Amino acid sequence: MTSNNTPNDILIIGSGVAGAAIAQKILEQHPNAKITMLEAGGKMKMRDFALHQDYLVTGNMPYDYYHDFAYPNRDTAGENESLGKTMLPMQGSRLLMYGGSTVHWGGWSFRLKPEDFELKTRIAKTSQHLSGNYDLIDWPISYSDLEPFYCEAEHYIGVSGDSNDTTSPRSAAYPYPAFPYTLEDKPSIEAMQSLGIKYSHMPIARHGLTASESTHPPCQTTGTCKYCPFGARYAAANYLDDIQTFYDYPNFSIITNAAVESLIMTNKHKVSGVHYIDKNIDQHATQTLHADLVILAAGAIESSKILLRSQNDFWPKGLGNDKDLVGRNLITHPYLMFEAELPENPLGLIPEMDFPTMVSRHFDSPEEQSEGKYIIVNPPSSIGVKLAQEMQNGKPLNVIRDELTGKTKLQLHALVEIFSQRDNRLSNVSKRNHIGLQETAINFDQGPDFEVRIAQIQTEIDKIFTAMGAHNTKLKTISWRADHAACTTRMAHSSSEGVVDKNLKVFDVENLFICSNSSFSSLGAVNPTLTLTSLALRLAHHINENVLPNRQAEAGNNIAIHEAN
Amino acid sequence: MDTSETYDIETPYPYIEESLNLDADTFETMWQLLSCIFDYWELAMPTSGAKSQLLVFMQNRMKINLNYYAEYKNAACVIHELNQKFGKHNGTIHLLTSPEAAIKPANTRLARARQMVSNEFITLALSIGGFKSFGAKNALGYINGGNVEGKAPYRIFSDHTDEDSKKDI
Ligand SMILES: Cc1cc2nc3c(=O)[nH]c(=O)nc-3n(C[C@H](O)[C@H](O)[C@H](O)COP(=O)(O)OP(=O)(O)OC[C@H]3O[C@@H](n4cnc5c(N)ncnc54)[C@H](O)[C@@H]3O)c2cc1C
Ligand code: SF4
Repeated sequence: MTSNNTPNDILIIGSGVAGAAIAQKILEQHPNAKITMLEAGGKMKMRDFALHQDYLVTGNMPYDYYHDFAYPNRDTAGENESLGKTMLPMQGSRLLMYGGSTVHWGGWSFRLKPEDFELKTRIAKTSQHLSGNYDLIDWPISYSDLEPFYCEAEHYIGVSGDSNDTTSPRSAAYPYPAFPYTLEDKPSIEAMQSLGIKYSHMPIARHGLTASESTHPPCQTTGTCKYCPFGARYAAANYLDDIQTFYDYPNFSIITNAAVESLIMTNKHKVSGVHYIDKNIDQHATQTLHADLVILAAGAIESSKILLRSQNDFWPKGLGNDKDLVGRNLITHPYLMFEAELPENPLGLIPEMDFPTMVSRHFDSPEEQSEGKYIIVNPPSSIGVKLAQEMQNGKPLNVIRDELTGKTKLQLHALVEIFSQRDNRLSNVSKRNHIGLQETAINFDQGPDFEVRIAQIQTEIDKIFTAMGAHNTKLKTISWRADHAACTTRMAHSSSEGVVDKNLKVFDVENLFICSNSSFSSLGAVNPTLTLTSLALRLAHHINENVLPNRQAEAGNNIAIHEAN
Repeated sequence: MDTSETYDIETPYPYIEESLNLDADTFETMWQLLSCIFDYWELAMPTSGAKSQLLVFMQNRMKINLNYYAEYKNAACVIHELNQKFGKHNGTIHLLTSPEAAIKPANTRLARARQMVSNEFITLALSIGGFKSFGAKNALGYINGGNVEGKAPYRIFSDHTDEDSKKDI
C-alpha cells in the first residue's frame, strides 16, 4: 500500500455535476484550498468536430466505453446482477468517466414543487388505498430553503426557460429565455388546450446568447445533443476543463482512472481519507490519500456502495449503516413511451430539434401525489418520417413526399413518481466491471400499485391522443433504466430514517458528506439533476461559510486550508 | 526539426500531423456522388461551401478511421464502373437505389460503397441544408444558430393562449 501523505483540505470522489459544482464554488471563495478530485473513469475528448460528425452519421456515442455493460445472459458475460422481480437496466444509465453522466444527459432542468418536500405528511392523509409497503419520509429541508440555490443552479448549469412560468415558485429569472414551442408541439398543445390540461416550456440546460463574456457558447440548435460540438449543453467535463484552463487554482487537481475502494476512519466520528486504486500507477495496489473533509459525489449507486464497502471496527456494517439503511429504499423513474397513429400529417412535421420544448406538469400536482405524480413530454422525434433513413433505403422522392404528409406514428412520454420500498436495494458484488469498480447487485420490485397507476395514466394519454385525432393508443415500452437511481442514502431528520442530515453530512460522522441523488428524501416526478446541483451549491455554501472557517479556527490556523501559500 | 514531444497529446483517433490528401479523381467522384444525391432527391443545395464541407467531412471520417481512405477509393471505383455500364448519371443512381447495394452485411464492393459512403453522404446532404426542400427550417446536424427572439431557428408554434394555460399551475 502506497501512501500519499500530503494532506488535502477536501477530497471529492467523482467528477460529475455534483463534484464539479462543489469544487467550483469552494474554489471561488478559497482559491488556494487543496482539493483533489478522484475519478474512476478516464477522459474523452469533448467539443471535437470529427467525433460530432461520426455521431451524426453513425449514431455511435464516442463515450460508449464508459457505460456499464448489459446484465449477463446466456451468451455474454455482462456486468452487474439483477436480482428482483423488476429489472432496472444499468447499461446506459450513467457514465463512469471524467465529467460523469452529464456528458450524455438530456438537460431537462426541472425544479421540484413545494409539496414534494412533504411527501410523507401529505400522503399519510390520503393514501389508504395504496397496498404497497412504502417507507416514506419528508425532506428535512423545505422548498424555500432550496429556492435560492435553484436560482444559482439554473445560472451555473445555464438553463433556458420561461421566467413567467409559475409551476414552481421562483425568486429570480432564468439566465436565458425559453426555446419557443416547435411546430411539432402543435398537435399536443392544441389537444391539451381542448382538454384543459396545463403545459409549459421545457426548462432545458442549453446556453443562450449573452452580452457578457462567457466560456460557454450558445446553443446553435444543431441537434446532436448527445455529443454537442460546441459545449452549449452543460457537461461537467467542459466545466472541469475550464476550471483548469482559465482559472488559477494552484492546489486543485483531478486524478482520473482512480477508483476509491473505501473510506478510512480515525475513530467512529471522523474520516481521515480514502483507499483507492490508481490505474496510472498500478492496476491492483491500493493507494492512500488523506483529507480533512471528504465529499462522496460518485453518483447514487457508487456513493452508497463505497459506504457499504467501508466496514471497520467502528462501523462493522459499513459506514453510516448502523441502522441498515444504506443502499435501501432505491427508486428511479419509470419512463413510459406511449404511441398512437395519426391518419395524416398535413404540415409534413419532421424532427427539427434534438430536445423537447414542451412539457405538461398538469399531473405533477398535489392532487395526484398519493397515486404517483407524473409529467408528460412531447419528445422531439415523435412524429414524421426519418428522411435520411427513407433515402438510404433508396425510396424515390414522390414516395417520400407522400409518406411525409401521410399516416404517421406519434408518441408522448411520461415520467412517473414511485415510492421507496425498504426491500428495494443495491449492494456490492465482488466481481469488478471493465472500469475496475466492484459490480452492483440490484434487487427491485415495482410493487403492487404500479400496474393500476399505469392504467390510469394510459387513460389520460389516450384522451390527449384522441383529441389530436390519433387512435390505437398503446404503451410501447416502459424503461426502468436506472438513470435516476435515488434515495439510497436519504437525507432525513434523524438517523433512524436516513443516512445524511439536512446538510448532507453523514449522521455521526463530522467530516463526511454525500452529494448525489442518493441523498434525495424522495424523487418527485421530474428529472433530478437541477435539484442535485442546487444541493451541491448549498453544500458548498455550507462548507464555505460554516465548515472551513470553523475547522481553521479549531486548528488554530494550523490545518491545511492552504490560504496563505 | 521540431523535437517537441507529442506522445501524451489527448486524442481519440490516431495522431497524424500531415493532412489526409485523397487524389483529385477520388475527391471529384465523391463530389459527383454528393451532387447526384442533391439532384436525385431534389434537395436544396447550399448556395456556397458544399464542396468544402464535403472535403472537411471526408477528412474527418479518415481521421477517425483510416479505412475511410480505402472506402472512398472503393466507392470511386464502383461509381466509375456503374457509370460505364448504365451511363453517367444512372450509374450513380443505381448505387443509391439498387436493393443489392443494401444487402447486409456489406461484403461486396457495391454494398460497401452504399453503406459506408453514399448513405453517410445522404445524412451529410440533409444536414448541410438539403432538408429544406421538405419544408422544414432546421434538421438534426444543421447548424442553424441560436435562440434569438423573433427569429427562431426552427418552425415554431405560436401559442397565443400560453398565458391562460399556465394559470393555477
Ligand atoms: C441518458 C440519460 C439522460 C439523462 N437526462 C437527464 C435530464 O435530462 N435531466 C436530468 O435532470 N437528469 C438527467 N439524467 C440524470 C443525470 O445524468 C444524473 O442525475 C446526474 O448526471 C448525476 O450526477 P452525479 O454528479 O451525481 O453523478 P455522475 O455524473 O454519474 O458522476 C459520478 C462520477 O463518479 C465516478 N465514480 C463512481 N464511483 C467512483 C469511485 N469508486 N471512485 C472514483 N470515482 C467514482 C463516476 O465514474 C462518475 O464519473 C440523465 C441520465 C441518463 C443516463
Ligand atoms: S442543439 Fe444545442 S446543445 Fe444540442 S448539439 Fe446543437 S448546439 Fe449543442
